[in-house]
Amino acid sequence: MDSPTSSLEQNVDLSKLSDKDKQELQQFVVNESQKSSDPAKSVHSLTETCFKKCVTGAIRSGKLDKGEESCTQNCVDRFLDANFTVIRHLEQMRGSV
Amino acid sequence: MDSMNSFGASADPKSAVMNQVRQEAAMNNARLLIEKINDHCFERCVPKPGSSLSSGETTCFTQCMEKYMAAWNTVSRQYIGRIQQEQGKAAGGGSGGMF
Repeated sequence: MDSPTSSLEQNVDLSKLSDKDKQELQQFVVNESQKSSDPAKSVHSLTETCFKKCVTGAIRSGKLDKGEESCTQNCVDRFLDANFTVIRHLEQMRGSV
Repeated sequence: MDSMNSFGASADPKSAVMNQVRQEAAMNNARLLIEKINDHCFERCVPKPGSSLSSGETTCFTQCMEKYMAAWNTVSRQYIGRIQQEQGKAAGGGSGGMF
């Protein structure tokens, strides 16, 4: 993931965009949009889920209190546990066919 | 608009485009966050919409906003930490992942 970006920035003739430049640039955009969208989307949807589950009392301050903080951390970890469990089980099912 | 022009003129066009792409990604991220904040905090802070936003509701909103951002940061930290950890495991338990 890292190398194409950095080599892009280092080796390229900077004066004008050749066809090759254009192609590489296109690739960069594709990479970048994938990179930024997948994990970012997960963080957004996880924040939603965990905020709903963990911030249940009246909102009296701008910070997460201790209970909310640890609940949020557990929420992320258990969500990922569940995710990994599903994936592992799928792999098992595939292996047994 | 002006800054974009000077961007393109002084630096090479390619990195200008790349910068713009990165900026747009950050912008999208922020936009998404604000959208979620509006959804959730409206739900929490304005259960029964009155003829105007009361000062209590306004306070709730600003606090809710900060709280939601704090939650986002916590989730992001925890999520990235966990993914890194799993990647370390997958790579044979040791050297750092790709983040």
